[in-house]
Amino acid sequence: MNGLLYGVALQWKLDIRSKSLLVTCYIVPLIFFLLMGGIFTSVMPEMRSTLIPSMIVMCVSMGAFIGLPPSLVETYGSDVKKVYKANGVPLYLGLAAMFLSAFAHLMISCTIILLLAPILFEAALPVQLPFFFPALAIYIIVSLSIGSILGLAVNNQAKLTMIAQLMFLPSIMLSGIMFPIDLLPDFLESIGRIFPASWGYRLMLDHGFCPENLWYFIPAFCGAIIICAILLKRK
Amino acid sequence: MKDAIQVRELKKSYGSHMVLKGIDFQIEKGEIFALLGVNGAGKTTALECIEGLRKYDSGAITVNGKMGIQLQSSSLPAHMKPMEAVKLFAKWNKTKIDDAMLDGLGIKEMEKKQYIQLSTGQKRRLHLALALIGNPDVIFLDEPTAGLDVEGRLSLHDQIRKLKSQGKTIVLASHDMAEVETLCDRIAILNSGNIAFCGTASELTDRVGRKYFIHIKTQQGDNTYETDNIEDTLISLLNELKQKKIHVLDIKVDCGTLEQHFIEMGRRGA
Repeated sequence: MNGLLYGVALQWKLDIRSKSLLVTCYIVPLIFFLLMGGIFTSVMPEMRSTLIPSMIVMCVSMGAFIGLPPSLVETYGSDVKKVYKANGVPLYLGLAAMFLSAFAHLMISCTIILLLAPILFEAALPVQLPFFFPALAIYIIVSLSIGSILGLAVNNQAKLTMIAQLMFLPSIMLSGIMFPIDLLPDFLESIGRIFPASWGYRLMLDHGFCPENLWYFIPAFCGAIIICAILLKRK
Repeated sequence: MKDAIQVRELKKSYGSHMVLKGIDFQIEKGEIFALLGVNGAGKTTALECIEGLRKYDSGAITVNGKMGIQLQSSSLPAHMKPMEAVKLFAKWNKTKIDDAMLDGLGIKEMEKKQYIQLSTGQKRRLHLALALIGNPDVIFLDEPTAGLDVEGRLSLHDQIRKLKSQGKTIVLASHDMAEVETLCDRIAILNSGNIAFCGTASELTDRVGRKYFIHIKTQQGDNTYETDNIEDTLISLLNELKQKKIHVLDIKVDCGTLEQHFIEMGRRGA
């Protein structure tokens, strides 16, 4: 096993030990899913058809914007970075390992939602399951890329908490998962489209896996990668 | 003997503040070399420039051999265990883990603890182990014993001596003069961005002038007298005490510590 694979496997273990990722990737999203799933489907039974993508958007937004960045700050905003640099460990290792580990944790968490929702709330499974998982993977990757920018750009945990909320809250409120996006004023709808959540939600809806909903992810991902590379180089 | 490190005309500024004003020195292979200076003298900046961790404005630095670096302020992810860190660093350096080195530093004893649970001494030893993972030729230790208790300090001194006996070159930045005096072959003193002195501890003594300290214990208390003429001062002190009928309990004479020479050098403005 080479250094990168060992680093990723180690990061997976560290994430489980740290508890904070367990909270942001599993505990909070799953509790939210259990509570809101019950409320949504009781008050509006038609939400059964969109419950899975809605709850997944919440889960991914929380993991990517609230869960990943603090872990990055722990490494890149501290002396850990210098120790890595001084002793031959490439700086990108931390980012790559945390990104891949968070991706795996979010995939697991989203799969739990996918499996439980039909049993607990009679939610409808996605009609095109083969497209659902690629859509989910793309959405998670792009959200984590944007979360990585936050973690690399901000060195202060307190400041990060505030900025992360500025990403997380509009993602949830303006993506269409709480109420239809058509009901929003135009400017709020436009703001909502800046965040990956609204695109991810549409991509995971039935028959949503189409170029019209996919194009956003390409420039968003490329832009995020370039910005992360620049930020890493400055470290 | 070929130099392990050569530093020529090294200059470094932070904004308008020039921290290193063109320093020169070389370190021979296999020696323990100390970089001394008061806080803010530029020790860490100089070391980080040599280590390649900090860009410098001008000058030339040559390091012959592989480097191992223990930084002044070091950290690892809070939940990482010592052996996990060792394995990670070994994999990236593509080297085998030296079990004897790990045993010597007591890394395996702390195997079950996470980084956040380690004591300061254990963290220092772990970071030294990480610096040694790649079997380096030149080892940089920045304030290696800061925050350690006496036992930890002595244990680390033993490790440093062991490294020297293996032919490693060790560059030490320290505040602890006693440590430097005990361990180091040569020292360089940084003062206001310049090398104020570079040589052995005895050469430093010669440069600042040999000072003697006479410690006299009497029934009335302890007194220390500083002199450069030990015979005359001692005789006159004893005569004076005899005249005053003060009974002498103990007399000690020493020729001053590196710390006293360092203070003297600072007082003279180097």
